[in-house]
Amino acid sequence: MGKKHQTPLLDELKKGKWISFVKEIERAAEKSERTEDLLGQVEESYRDKVNHWKHGGMAGVKGYGAGMVGRFSEFPEKYPGIKECHSMRIIPSAGFFYNTDFLRKLADISEKHAGGLLNFHGATGNIQILGMSQVEAEDVFQAVAELGFDLGGSGSDLRTPSCCAGQARCEFANYDTMKICRHLTEEYLDELHRPAFNYKFKFKFSGCANDCVASAARSDLAFIGTWKDKIKINQDEVKNYAKKFNVQKYVLDKCPTKCMWFESENLVIDDENCVKCMHCINELPKALKAGDERGCSILIGAKAPLVTGPRMGMMLVPFYDVNEDAKNDYEWLKSLISNMWEFWDEYGVSRERIGELIGRVGLNTFLEGIGLEPIPEMVEHPRSNPFIKFTEDEEE
Amino acid sequence: MAEEVKKKRLTDIGPHDYNEYLSPMIKNNYGKWAYHEIIDPGTMVHVAESGDKLYTVRMGSPRLVSGSFVRDICDIADKYCGGHLRFTTRNNVEFLIEDEKNVEPLKKDIAAMGYNVGGIGNIVANIVHTQGWIHCHTSASDASGVVKSVMDELYEYFVEDKLPSKVRIAFACCLNMCGSVSSSDIAIVGTHRKPPRIDAERLRNLCEIPSTIAACPTNSIRPDTVDGKPGVKVNEETCVFCGSCYTVCPAMPIANAENDGLSIWVGGKVSNARTKPTFSKLAIPFIPNDPPRWPGVVNAVKTILNEYKKGAEPGERVGEWIDRIGWPRFFKLTGFPFTKYHIDDFRLAETTMNYSSHARL
Amino acid sequence: MTDETKKKVEDKILGLVTEYVGKKRFKPIDIVKEMEKEFASEGLTKDDIKAALKDLMDEEKLVYGYAGGSFLTVPENK
Ligand code: HEM
Ligand code: HEM
Ligand code: HEM
Ligand code: SF4
Ligand code: SF4
Ligand code: SF4
Ligand code: SF4
Repeated sequence: MGKKHQTPLLDELKKGKWISFVKEIERAAEKSERTEDLLGQVEESYRDKVNHWKHGGMAGVKGYGAGMVGRFSEFPEKYPGIKECHSMRIIPSAGFFYNTDFLRKLADISEKHAGGLLNFHGATGNIQILGMSQVEAEDVFQAVAELGFDLGGSGSDLRTPSCCAGQARCEFANYDTMKICRHLTEEYLDELHRPAFNYKFKFKFSGCANDCVASAARSDLAFIGTWKDKIKINQDEVKNYAKKFNVQKYVLDKCPTKCMWFESENLVIDDENCVKCMHCINELPKALKAGDERGCSILIGAKAPLVTGPRMGMMLVPFYDVNEDAKNDYEWLKSLISNMWEFWDEYGVSRERIGELIGRVGLNTFLEGIGLEPIPEMVEHPRSNPFIKFTEDEEE
Repeated sequence: MAEEVKKKRLTDIGPHDYNEYLSPMIKNNYGKWAYHEIIDPGTMVHVAESGDKLYTVRMGSPRLVSGSFVRDICDIADKYCGGHLRFTTRNNVEFLIEDEKNVEPLKKDIAAMGYNVGGIGNIVANIVHTQGWIHCHTSASDASGVVKSVMDELYEYFVEDKLPSKVRIAFACCLNMCGSVSSSDIAIVGTHRKPPRIDAERLRNLCEIPSTIAACPTNSIRPDTVDGKPGVKVNEETCVFCGSCYTVCPAMPIANAENDGLSIWVGGKVSNARTKPTFSKLAIPFIPNDPPRWPGVVNAVKTILNEYKKGAEPGERVGEWIDRIGWPRFFKLTGFPFTKYHIDDFRLAETTMNYSSHARL
Repeated sequence: MTDETKKKVEDKILGLVTEYVGKKRFKPIDIVKEMEKEFASEGLTKDDIKAALKDLMDEEKLVYGYAGGSFLTVPENK
């Protein structure tokens, strides 16, 4: 096949040991001709050092306000194949587990109706099919739906929730991340498909404090597995590890609260002072296990820089008994979420994430609004400035 | 239009049931895994309480893949994994193998196809990245090309375990910072350096003035009258070139070929292990775009990695290493100049000063 | 909510959005708040209003736009 566009700059990126995205785009172009024009335009960006997509323009499927992002080339005459180059977001299987039958069919769809390019996965965890035009959207949507998959979130809606592999393949998981992720996606499907919020809202579920899905850095509500009772210790395995490396230096000395020590050969943990950071369990996985009273912490408000600066998730609920609540279809959690969304609807302004709203009105106002009590776990330390706004005590 | 008997339109079917995709061994041992061991940077084994062993081989992916790539990995999964596979949060492919005998042949096949096996343990993890010039209009740089260039250079650290701890690098082509870019060991972030240009004519048709004004984090946008009609003006003294206004109003483009480029941030992490999650901090405010291989960025990342490798203790993440040695020494070791741009002047800037007499002299 | 009320709400919403095209971008929540005020005497709930909105979108009388945040508008060809 002759090359439609010369791409000397991109060709440089076919060299080297790491897998080349340029080769991937070329392979896609072999199956879906339009993608040759993508190579052409990207080469032009490489030459001009600036991107060549137009801003704006809509794409979507009937009845949905989310799941598709419209993308239009700045040079439709020169690159007709990507005049419209929209992408469709598809809710992934929880934990990103798939079988080959599904993946092959999806590859076929992407080549037949779009640019033959896919993302596994987007930053929020959607599968993406890239490079379709508006008239093809409905066909792609129906083809994907026939495989049992639905569109994901975009815009001011509930973004596609995502989770770590959890109990499916990780001994550290303190609760069933995949189950709750699927359940809440199902529960809030309308919020996901039909944007009605002030701005985006994200749930992410990690089975432990290692936080493999980076929930504390990028989800409005982060669920991070934890436990309440004692770390289980297998002293024989501790001794085995001690033969292999310096457990005192690399494990005990690095415990953030210095709550573990040796008494003769035996490891002792002051569990009341343990902050469940996972360090010791990571280092000694055969010897140490989380206790039996497991659940998760809920952190609120994480987001990226725009508009008013980045935020990490902050502690809202230190211990949520998710395993118990799972038996009631997560009723306690749903009522908390509904209180939060109502507060955000009522007091939030356009493009204000919930973390920014809390920053603006103050944590106390937010807690009152959603019906939670202030507790010391929520702060790094109590206030150090004296500007206290005392209020009239209503009871008196 | 010839109306055939139309199938009912499918809609709102919800998330797919993941149970369909779990292999028998995973189903049997769900929630009952005992421990795991890393065999080499491409392979680990999870051992269940039942004694079952599940091997995982991890393979790098550029995230943006072709249908042919998908079929390649399906061929391998069909041959060795009963058709089961998964992806990781950092966009790698994981083959899930129940029979130990299949591990080495599978790895050989992957290598023969030219793919990369690695990414487990104390390695440079696959770079989480964004869309760039391939698919986003607000980008200050390409994403995939920078990532490819850096990964080519750091390839040995993906396939071999020889760093003090894992190093997570992330890339975002603008301040939207899709992904957990702002809390990575090393973050590369697209940066604009000029204020938006205002196309007054288009602005009148395309943009809602109040929401455009509200988009600005520094209150730099003010209502204005242009040719007797409503418009906006930008206070260039206070604008921080974030591009938020362009997101809301397409008539305020901010991309600028000569002045766009990349900044480098270090020492963030999201895991709670040992220390609390923290944001990455500024190391280099600006490196010009230099496609197709971005040598300036590649060298900067390499410099940080080399100093980290030399200086960090086993188990220390980049941020923990810097906390121990202090920022002045970080700048001395890397040779990166400390400039006025390193001193915060945004919201909460005051909280970042050194309120003590502590100084490593 | 009777079908008749629903029709009334839908017409009101459509009128409002159409009137302000190019001047104000209504988020769904803005509309819900407006309609709650408008129909306060008839005791309409949020869910009623959301149902009316969903109808309008299913019939493609209203569609979503996006400019940094989602909003509702009338289809471009109208
Ligand atoms: C002002 C407008 C926009 C902003 C601020 C914006 C922001 C973002 C952000 C933060 C991400 C996450 C990055 C990632 O997943 O890699 C993203 C991803 C993406 N954006 Fe944009 N975007 C904008 C407009 C668009 C438009 C108009 C399109 C397409 C027509 C588009 C297509 C995409 C795609 C396909 C992704 C990847 C999604 C995924 O990976 O799941 N974006 N955008
Ligand atoms: C709990 C409340 C407060 C405490 C315990 C406190 C305590 C003190 C102390 C110990 C000093 C140093 C005196 C010295 O050694 O010469 C001081 C100085 C001062 N305080 Fe306060 N203070 C409080 C509240 C305030 C407030 C609310 C203001 C003003 C709004 C204020 C304004 C000042 C000023 C202007 C000085 C002089 C600072 C200087 O030396 O230049 N203080 N305060
Ligand atoms: C047209 C506008 C936008 C589009 C199309 C867009 C799209 C996306 C997409 C596709 C993702 C990846 C998630 C997914 O798969 O759904 C994403 C993530 C993200 N977006 Fe947006 N976005 C837009 C605007 C913004 C804006 C204005 C901000 C910041 C104020 C923002 C901040 C983020 C962040 C921080 C993430 C990554 C965090 C995460 O993955 O959870 N986005 N966005
Ligand atoms: S977050 Fe914890 S439970 Fe989940 S995969 Fe990572 S280590 Fe395992
Ligand atoms: S989990 Fe963390 S805080 Fe708890 S004992 Fe282990 S190292 Fe210490
Ligand atoms: S980081 Fe910015 S430029 Fe890159 S994909 Fe996200 S929004 Fe687009
Ligand atoms: S680029 Fe950012 S700071 Fe500058 S005017 Fe636009 S929104 Fe404001």
